[in-house]
Amino acid sequence: MKLPFWKRKQRDRELDEEIQAHLTLGAHEEMEVGRSRTEAELAARRTFGNEALTREITRDIWGWRWIADLLQDIRYGLRLLAKNRGFTAIAILVLTLGIGLNTAVFTAYKAMVARQIEARDPGKMVNLALVRESGAADFQFNYPDYEAYRDSMRSFSGVIALATNSLRLSVPAAMSGFGTPASDSKIGKSGLSPVGNAEFVSVFVISENYFQVLGATVLAGRTFDSFSVPQLLASPSVLISENYWQKRFSRDPEILGKTIYLNGSPVTVVGITPHDFVGTQISAPDFWLPLGLAPVVHADEHWLGNRENHCCRLFARLAPGVSIAQAKSEMNVLADHLRGLNGPDSASAKRATALVWPASPFPLPLKLYAGLSSAILLIMAAAGMVLAVSCADVGSLQLARIRSRENELRTRLALGASRLRIIRQLLTESVVLGLFAGALAFLFSWSLLRVSAVLAANAVPLEYGTLIFNVNPDFAIFAYVFAISLVSGILFGLAPALESSSSALTGAVRGSTSSMRNRRTQEFLIAVQVALSLALMIAGTMLIRSSINSLKMETGYETKHVIDVELKFPESLKYTPARKLALVREIRTRISALPEVVDVTIARLSGEDGLLTPAQLIDSSKSSTQPVSSIHYVYVQPNYFQTLGIPVLVGHGFELHTSQLERTIVISESEAREISPRQNPIGRTIRLGLVDELFHDPRDLRADGPTYQIIGVARDVRRTDLNSDDSRQLYLSMPEDKVHSHPILVRVSSGASQVIRTIDPIIASVDPDLVQTSITLDDRLRQSPSFIVSSIAAAIASGVGLLGFLPALMGIYGTVSYVVVLRTREIGIRMALGAFRRDILALILRESARSVLVGLLAGIFLAIGASYMVRSVLLGIRTVDPISFVGVSFSFLTIALLAALLPARRATKVDPIAALRNE
Amino acid sequence: MTATKQGYQERIEVLQGTLDMLILQVLQWGPCHGYALSKSIRTASGEILKADAGSLYPALHRLERKGWVGAEWRISEIGPRLRVYHLTKSGRKQLVSARSRWAKLTGAIAGILNSAQRRSET
Repeated sequence: MKLPFWKRKQRDRELDEEIQAHLTLGAHEEMEVGRSRTEAELAARRTFGNEALTREITRDIWGWRWIADLLQDIRYGLRLLAKNRGFTAIAILVLTLGIGLNTAVFTAYKAMVARQIEARDPGKMVNLALVRESGAADFQFNYPDYEAYRDSMRSFSGVIALATNSLRLSVPAAMSGFGTPASDSKIGKSGLSPVGNAEFVSVFVISENYFQVLGATVLAGRTFDSFSVPQLLASPSVLISENYWQKRFSRDPEILGKTIYLNGSPVTVVGITPHDFVGTQISAPDFWLPLGLAPVVHADEHWLGNRENHCCRLFARLAPGVSIAQAKSEMNVLADHLRGLNGPDSASAKRATALVWPASPFPLPLKLYAGLSSAILLIMAAAGMVLAVSCADVGSLQLARIRSRENELRTRLALGASRLRIIRQLLTESVVLGLFAGALAFLFSWSLLRVSAVLAANAVPLEYGTLIFNVNPDFAIFAYVFAISLVSGILFGLAPALESSSSALTGAVRGSTSSMRNRRTQEFLIAVQVALSLALMIAGTMLIRSSINSLKMETGYETKHVIDVELKFPESLKYTPARKLALVREIRTRISALPEVVDVTIARLSGEDGLLTPAQLIDSSKSSTQPVSSIHYVYVQPNYFQTLGIPVLVGHGFELHTSQLERTIVISESEAREISPRQNPIGRTIRLGLVDELFHDPRDLRADGPTYQIIGVARDVRRTDLNSDDSRQLYLSMPEDKVHSHPILVRVSSGASQVIRTIDPIIASVDPDLVQTSITLDDRLRQSPSFIVSSIAAAIASGVGLLGFLPALMGIYGTVSYVVVLRTREIGIRMALGAFRRDILALILRESARSVLVGLLAGIFLAIGASYMVRSVLLGIRTVDPISFVGVSFSFLTIALLAALLPARRATKVDPIAALRNE
Repeated sequence: MTATKQGYQERIEVLQGTLDMLILQVLQWGPCHGYALSKSIRTASGEILKADAGSLYPALHRLERKGWVGAEWRISEIGPRLRVYHLTKSGRKQLVSARSRWAKLTGAIAGILNSAQRRSET
């Protein structure tokens, strides 16, 4: 039984009273044998013994003493921290940055990247994908394959499928909440404007067993687990997410049983999914629709049966006792069987290996995203370095501060404090400092996460729904990072304390300040500090430059004055290819008639699409032993190069009215350099594999494949997809039958935004059922994943760099100058012995510069390593950036020399006698 | 005066572990305050054992913390409030085990002393 601390005061009073009563009773007895009151009281006291000591010992029994001591230590520590404001501010700032940033980064990693899916017993859930022989990964399966996996795999107790769609929503006007058009939603922002009354919603189209396999429930109503497809077709039903129910229908309790229209088909709302429920994804959709209804809303009865419709991602629950490896080998067998059911030219007919890995919202195992994982690694490494720098900073500051307190500590020891007590005092101070920093860091990481959540939410395309991202700092991570920084602070603070307290005990001579060993420790710390700071700063500045680069977006073609118009045809059999082509022609003609429009072409952007085909140069002199490689290709119309402002460097582009158009090809500069480095490639022939707009690898090249004559070489454009600096590109002339599946690119002379506004009515007047997205290429690039990833990575790293720079400078200044201050006595002796001021200054500068230079050297190696690692993520930066290197190294050296010079000058000006007395 | 002083000097300081047992033993006869406890120990030992206040109060509070004794305030007839201690259930158990340990210890010591005596007699 231990008394609570707050009852201590009362207990103290009671103890006093008890002792007083003892004395009174004793005196009373003495008076009974006939003594005077004073005599009796004295006798009672005498018999009692040492009253104060008794009180003290008794109090200790209750275990309060350590608390009282602790309070005293904290009070003293706070006083000292308040006195050394500079030290306190720097240490707290530095620790706050280190702890806060790391908590934020690792929390974000856990919440976004290492995120689990939302399911009961998620450890038993797995993702399914296939890796083709070519290395291409397939995570979208067609519906017949899904059925096969679902029905015949024994390793899984349930397999679910999910497709993300954006569908047109219309609601009967009578429904509550209607009348808020999409202007404030993401659709409006991304420039997607619905034609007529439509509004686009994010719909997750899921297999009927989705909720049952995940073990998830609905907030209200029911799921469609128990329904068969015919039942669903008879009474089409849909689930609404709580988030959308709230946003769009202001939680109308009557929503259940209401009918809404998705792409014009009536469906009944039968249930509401819980708030922020994301299932296997990272975002909450507006609606959940059963896959059985997909043919209805897409007006395509073959939607499910079509093997070329790779609609769905698959997740499965492992049957009890089945390991991932077992499931994988069973899936391999089935996948091998299934690929035989595809057409021989289909990409799905390629040999493939099954991938089964613990369920995650990411469609592929993280290690397959080369660019992304190095970006993540980079950010984490940067954060880790900030932590290391801040620990080293605080450590060296502590070290310096403890040194300056040696006298105080010695005095306290002399006055009878135990060594343990002194160590406890120093520990308490470190912890108090750490706690301040910790509290601030928690706030800091919270706000960092808030900001990044907003950034991330805006980057998610509509059809993925509302990003759900828990922005509260993860407490376990915070505790971990906090502990690291606290322990390092304590270690640095304690090591010299132990040493100094022992030296004081053995009665060491006073003024042992510049012992060689201490100086070595400090020099080592300075070097570490400098090295880490340098690497961090250089990585930071490189990222800043890269983000400036990506903001400039030197793509190699015009972006600000080109509008990309994407048409979406209603998915209905009424829209035959011929009708689509006619519509596109009509729209093109009308847009061309606008006064601002300079040129209109139809093509997908080069450098944007992921279509690959094998290509091989045919050499008439030698037999065909030319290398084969996969190259990106696009179909373009003859005026493509002119519309986008891509110069044709050699030869010429496609010419209108040439019968040979189909057999000619334009290649990019890089490709020309690759296939014929020394010769002019014009006029040579190249053989391609299939150009059916599917992925193909070099093995698909066939001897009877189509051949093309090279007629021109166009300047390189920069690819904008993640992790690719491959500028090799082929341009094929676009056949008529592909026109309707390509966007319209409109080059304007000025006023792109006005033109965008007029495009919508033009298209509506041609066909009100069409849906269009118009956006300048510039804006579109800003929404591309690579731009977002690199700008977020750059923003974080730049922030880290900027935030790290000041503490790094302060840390270096603080430590270097302190080491010199410690040598005041030595300088005094040298001066007294007749040394020249100049020589002393030179000596001090030389010795201070040494450790800084060692640190710079180590830092340069670190930074080179880091910059090699980040190359793949940085847009436009290829090698180590000398400006950053020289600039940062120079500023570090300058600050260090300044830090050494100022106190050394001061020391040489002091009277030697005073310098000797200094300590 | 002299007699008291002499008696004072002849008293033996009680060993710490033993003091705990003695306190528990005295409290078994009935609740008691600190002053009375020290007196009881003195008189019951025939004025030989002395429980100094400097060790008595820490011992009482230690026993209270362990839960072997309880305490409450009572008004005394002569004026000040008195803190009166009583034995708790676990204190009773503790006393039994302490006594048996003590019996073993004294038995063992007596055994050694007796054999030594026998040897010196022969």
